[in-house]
Amino acid sequence: MSAPMIEIRGLGKSFGAHEGLRGVALVVGRSEVVCLIGPSGSGKSTLLRCINFLESYDAGEVRIAGKLIGYEDAPDGTRRRMGARNLREMRREIGMVFQHFNLWPHMSAMRNVAEPLRRVRGLDAAEAATRALAMLTRVGLADKAEAYPSRLSGGQQQRVAIARALAMQPRLMLFDEPTSALDPELVGEVLEVMKSLAAEGMTMLIVTHEMGFAAHVADRIAFIDDGRIVDEGPPRRVFHESAEPRVRQFLQTYHDRNSF
Amino acid sequence: MDFEVLWRYAPSLLSGFGVTVMCWGAGGALGVVLGFVIALIYRLRLPPLRWLLRVFIEVFRGTPFLVQLFLIYAGGPYIGLRLEATTAGILGLGLYSSAYFAEIFRGGFAAVPVGQIEAAMCVGMKPIDVLLRVTLPAALIAAVPPIVNMLIVLSKETVVLSIITVPELMYQMQTMAAETFTAFDAIFAMAVFYWLLVESVSRLGRRLESRVTAFMAEAARQA
Amino acid sequence: MHPQVILHSFGYLTQAAGTTLAISLAGIALGFVIGAAVCIARLSRKAWLARIGGVYVSVFRGVPLLVLLLFIYYFLAKFGVDVPALAAAIGGLALSSGAYQSEILRGALAATPPGQAEAAVALGFSGVEVWRRILLPQALRISIPPLINEFILLLKASSLVSVVGIAELTRVSMNIASLTYRPLEAYVGGASFYLAINLGLAALGALTERRLAGERA
Repeated sequence: MSAPMIEIRGLGKSFGAHEGLRGVALVVGRSEVVCLIGPSGSGKSTLLRCINFLESYDAGEVRIAGKLIGYEDAPDGTRRRMGARNLREMRREIGMVFQHFNLWPHMSAMRNVAEPLRRVRGLDAAEAATRALAMLTRVGLADKAEAYPSRLSGGQQQRVAIARALAMQPRLMLFDEPTSALDPELVGEVLEVMKSLAAEGMTMLIVTHEMGFAAHVADRIAFIDDGRIVDEGPPRRVFHESAEPRVRQFLQTYHDRNSF
Repeated sequence: MDFEVLWRYAPSLLSGFGVTVMCWGAGGALGVVLGFVIALIYRLRLPPLRWLLRVFIEVFRGTPFLVQLFLIYAGGPYIGLRLEATTAGILGLGLYSSAYFAEIFRGGFAAVPVGQIEAAMCVGMKPIDVLLRVTLPAALIAAVPPIVNMLIVLSKETVVLSIITVPELMYQMQTMAAETFTAFDAIFAMAVFYWLLVESVSRLGRRLESRVTAFMAEAARQA
Repeated sequence: MHPQVILHSFGYLTQAAGTTLAISLAGIALGFVIGAAVCIARLSRKAWLARIGGVYVSVFRGVPLLVLLLFIYYFLAKFGVDVPALAAAIGGLALSSGAYQSEILRGALAATPPGQAEAAVALGFSGVEVWRRILLPQALRISIPPLINEFILLLKASSLVSVVGIAELTRVSMNIASLTYRPLEAYVGGASFYLAINLGLAALGALTERRLAGERA
């Protein structure tokens, strides 16, 4: 049986004296969509960023399709930091979408998508342009290819960011609160794209506050609080029948604020 | 470096330093006061007055300090302004810096969050009170760092005064150099001296800045 | 007031203005190279290199330009190097401007939102590529308005090279003043040229700032 897409065991990370993550365990299978929810400061983003080693972790391990990321096993049996080249190679297979889009303002939408294809995948200009345009079409922004980020709405920028990550043909995609920085009316267009990605079988790990989206699209929900995964399971169970008081309390305040 | 020469000229060098400090202090004070007045008048929103002040600021910021000095010292007599070198130097420093200080104060006023002024007006404060209790304190706090910066810049400009024969440090140094043929040593000593002076004044200035800002913020809070 | 003095010397003043512009352009260009080098040094991970950069900035911002110019002049004279006053003047301007330009570049690099570099890293860009494609182009864009401002300051500072005898705008104004015994007109004339150039540069700066702001908004 092939290894799960993401396998996290005993993950720990400290920021000085503060323990950001402790003993986190999570498995994400191929084509699974898992949503991470929890209060702010609980460690959701830190966990996500450890998966592509944007944050280093101090304990435990993260494996991508069976391969350890961030560290490698040396011949003498000890574990050491992974070399820069290997890390870059692994990162190519992991797509990441940020809360604040992080598009490059001095490049057009098309160039934002094509640049990684040229510099990281080594495609030539024509190939990169073709693929970039295809991706922009996929997210519904073919007509904005020449536009600069400053001329695009938040929702459009985020879709370009998704296209940029998608163009690399990653094996899995990480989303760090992809709609938190958007005006409410722009959230929908981004969620639509994400839904279609899920339907196509992309493995996705999403940190989000969009409970409705999580309830309908996720295969599993994981609730993080204070650096630990407190509950995990199918949306129906976690949202409605969780045994954990912390989960119920969190969802309660959410319900109170959102039902009118 | 011939220390015997330095020792012999110590009195004149010290006097020169005194003149430097005096010119810097007087010029700086003149500049700050004048700049503040200009910024205040600017706020009156009277188009002809504003235009005049704008021209003043553009001229004194758009032309070299040396040329301004020459105008005052050499050109002054032709419009009835017969000034001694030192006085001309102080006036020059004052006018030159006032243009910059005026812009700094303008920036300070602009930096006051509109919300604070609106809150004061909504609560029924008289315009003069709004100015004194809300706008001014905030504007002055914002202006302190650039003012300190400008004063440091001004301290370096005092050497230009030597060109119109103001007997400040640079001038005395050059006199000594000419009389004793120690040009290189003298200028080297000047460079080191000014570097140390500016470096220490900068550090002092930064510390003073944080102290004054904290003090004024506290005063504003209590007012 | 004899305005005809200005009219008669218009030709000389124009030529001198050209010299001033040329000297300033040379100074800012050389200063950029120096500033970039110093900036890189300051950001280096080698502590000694960073210290040297820091000392350079401290020295060349702390020593007044006039002192620096005369120092170079006497320095070269003392060691018998026969360098024309022009080279000494441009060198002095460049060394001084380099210190300020390095700070401008440093500020520009710091102003680039870190998220953009992060996105590049997450996509698998190498460190060098992140620099070349993402950080550097943006830093240069951000630094253009303050660099134009620096050029304006340099242009005004160039008036000090008159003391080493170069026939730029201030020196020529001095000459006209002593020849015609009309210092007022002479210096008003010179000042007007400086003002005209600076107003033009300020307009250029405002234009560039607006265009760049639109791109990044």
